[in-house]
Amino acid sequence: MSETPIIRFENVTKYYDAETTVLTDINFELERGKFYTLLGPSGCGKTTILRLIAGFMQPSGGNIYFNGKLINNVPANERQVNTVFQDYALFPHLNVFENVAFGLRIKKLGKQEIQEKVLEALKFVNLSGYENREIAEMSGGQRQRVAIARAIVNDPEIILLDEPLSALDLKLRSEMQYELRELQQRLGKTFIFVTHDQEEALAMSDEIFVLNAGNIEQSGTPMDIYDEPINRFVADFIGESNIVSGTMVADFRVRIGGKEFECVDQGLNPNENIDIVIRPEDLEITTVEKGKMKVKVDTQLFRGVHYELSTYDDEGNEWLVHSTKKAEVGAFIGLDFDPEAIHVMRLNETEEEFDKRLESYGEDAYAN
Amino acid sequence: MARTSNTAKIYLALIFIILYAPILYLIFYSFNSGGSMNNFESFTWEHYAAVFSDTRLIMILINTVIVALLSALIATIIGVFGSIGIVYMRNKSIRNSLLSLNNVLIVSPDVVIGASFLILFTMIGVKLGFASVLISHIAFSIPIVVLMVLPKLQEMNSSLIDAAADLGATKGEILRRVIIPFIKPGIFAGFFMALTYSLDDFAVTFFVTGNGFSTLSVEIYSMARAGITLTINALSGIIFIVTILLVVGYYFINQRGKNPVGMGVRK
Amino acid sequence: MQTKNTKTFYLIPYFAWILLFVIAPIALIAYYSLFDLSGNFTLDNYKNFFTSIYLKLTLSSFWYAFLITFFSLIVAYPTAYLLTKTKHKQLWLLLIIIPSWINLLLKTYAFIGIFGLYGPINAFLNVFGFGETQILFTDFSFIFVSVYIFIPFMILPIFNALDKLNPSLIDASRDLGASSWTTFTKVIFPLTTNGVKAGIQAVFIPSLSLFMITRLIAGNKVITLGTAIEQQFLVTQNWGMGSTIAVFLIIFMVIVMIITGQREKGATSNGKN
Repeated sequence: MSETPIIRFENVTKYYDAETTVLTDINFELERGKFYTLLGPSGCGKTTILRLIAGFMQPSGGNIYFNGKLINNVPANERQVNTVFQDYALFPHLNVFENVAFGLRIKKLGKQEIQEKVLEALKFVNLSGYENREIAEMSGGQRQRVAIARAIVNDPEIILLDEPLSALDLKLRSEMQYELRELQQRLGKTFIFVTHDQEEALAMSDEIFVLNAGNIEQSGTPMDIYDEPINRFVADFIGESNIVSGTMVADFRVRIGGKEFECVDQGLNPNENIDIVIRPEDLEITTVEKGKMKVKVDTQLFRGVHYELSTYDDEGNEWLVHSTKKAEVGAFIGLDFDPEAIHVMRLNETEEEFDKRLESYGEDAYAN
Repeated sequence: MARTSNTAKIYLALIFIILYAPILYLIFYSFNSGGSMNNFESFTWEHYAAVFSDTRLIMILINTVIVALLSALIATIIGVFGSIGIVYMRNKSIRNSLLSLNNVLIVSPDVVIGASFLILFTMIGVKLGFASVLISHIAFSIPIVVLMVLPKLQEMNSSLIDAAADLGATKGEILRRVIIPFIKPGIFAGFFMALTYSLDDFAVTFFVTGNGFSTLSVEIYSMARAGITLTINALSGIIFIVTILLVVGYYFINQRGKNPVGMGVRK
Repeated sequence: MQTKNTKTFYLIPYFAWILLFVIAPIALIAYYSLFDLSGNFTLDNYKNFFTSIYLKLTLSSFWYAFLITFFSLIVAYPTAYLLTKTKHKQLWLLLIIIPSWINLLLKTYAFIGIFGLYGPINAFLNVFGFGETQILFTDFSFIFVSVYIFIPFMILPIFNALDKLNPSLIDASRDLGASSWTTFTKVIFPLTTNGVKAGIQAVFIPSLSLFMITRLIAGNKVITLGTAIEQQFLVTQNWGMGSTIAVFLIIFMVIVMIITGQREKGATSNGKN
């Protein structure tokens, strides 16, 4: 990376007291102009990272750099960072125009300039003509846009978004996902987006950081993370998946239960214990004879796009199957899958080791 | 439903009649040319004229209003900063004990407040009169202001303060541009409550006032002890109108704020 | 968030107030209660308080306060309940409150006329053949006027508690087969006890310490703790004894507050969040 990263975290820790550690040794670098997502369950520390970047809190240890400059002790009001808050935090005593103009008035810009910038920002978020509305008169989606306009009008280097879509209903949420992504590309700014919704993260991001209990478990593009989760936690958190324990018999051979299957992984120790992920959509329903695995259908739900089957093999492992084909509840069926569908996860592997291993497979084995 | 609502209406009507009858009774006889509160002889403005020609009474009226306005203003300023201090107090147990201390004067009986303030003023040598009355009124109004402002502050989402800082506001600007405007309805409510407390106070003033200084309540008390004078009736007519105006003003200020603080009542 | 300096700076007046006008006065009262008329340190005031005169006075003061609180509650609860059922309840509530904003002295003074020997009540009784009776300066007039003065302070907290009550709880109770009376005793009243307690607090403590109404309406027939304190401080100038009575009044106040105190949680969980 030749360019200075816009944000760099160096061994950052955060704890409130001896017992409650929020972040343990966080390290990462962010490039300018990308859409980043911090993804994780509540309490994983993702909002803490956001608040550290915004300047609402200071790290307990380690350093945070902004454009190469140490900003640990720069107060929030002096940082070129603006936040879109989870509850929008719009000032109820000010109308739409004044909310957006707030930062500019603090900077003491001229009247004319403020007028122009605010109207432009409102136009940017499709709220032209709403200048004089009171916040109470705006719908959830509109408030969301005001909050975004209030952030972008200050021309910050980074825009932080703290679960900004969580208060919206499903339909509006997916609409706003498109809009936010498009907005980020038009502005060319760095966006850091916090969410606990994996679908949202997969749909919008250039890069995702999956967090758990104050640690970054894995980072990478949405495709990387979905296809090659590093461990049980990530696999489970990103989409529905079948995670079972297994053994690496040799290169390209794994054993699940009593059976051996072909896979694409190599370079592990022989007979090493591993976790195995197979995504429900990678399992195909077939006859018992043709299938690689024999399972019994326990329940079946119609999900619109597909059927969701819960099935059990002889060892009692549950296998979730997403299929466009129907099956009979209580019947035995066969499950078929490609060798590429098997994702092998070593236990306690660090992200570095994980990346090295995947690289060693070469492009051909990892093409799909 | 219709049956119960009829008895309900009668009951409520009776309550309202009883509540308002004495006040209307007073005002009615303020127009009586006879000297007593029975036997209405004929209509007259003479008692009102008597109020306005009695310079001593007018002086007392002015004193009362000055004490009320000044004490409410000062109590509001101290109370607002006090409540901001309480809300942003990080230590929970200190915050709770501050709150309990704050409420002591609200629940204390007037007589005890009056007696203890009398001791206090005598000890530190404050001359009983305007100063002691003003200070006492400020003192018992502060907790009321705090109680009116505190809910507004608690209602304010802390992310609003983060947002203001995020947009570049300094601490002073946050206070001026975000916190104060947000709690404004609470501040006004507190000011009005303090005003009415002061105007209505009798017991505390009675204890801490000296010979040369009197407020309306104390004056009415001594007049009433001496017997019936229709000047008091005329006074009550005037006070009633002023109170109604104040209430209407308070009501509108409350309506303007989106979330009414809730009507307060004096103790 | 704030640095130490700015924090303490704007809090100085408030803390000074707490120190000077909350803590100091209570301390002074306690201190003065230990001195007799000539300024000697003594426990005589406390001994005196436990003589029959003061014990009787305390008892009767409590009895009157109890009666006033009781009648206030009896009248206020249905009023508050019916108010919540009206269409413009906030406006009606305001109308209940307005009289409480009229100077206390004026309202009390009105009753001197109303209950007077030639007042409207006696005129009314005359129609039914009762002779003119002295209503003023009786227990009845004292309690009536006190209830009249205190009733808005009882109505308001009960109204607020009833108003906060989630209406679907009443529906649920009816749905589960409870009659209106059972719904009231098992659901509505238990959920509004905090309002009732707040009302009792707002009425009982001031009732113990009334002295203006006793003097104007009850003549010198009714003596409360409040009257006694006023008497000691302003008439006999025995601040020591006055302080001693005040100390007991404060103790009673604390006891009443503990009894009627509400748990933090209960205050907000009136079934609606």
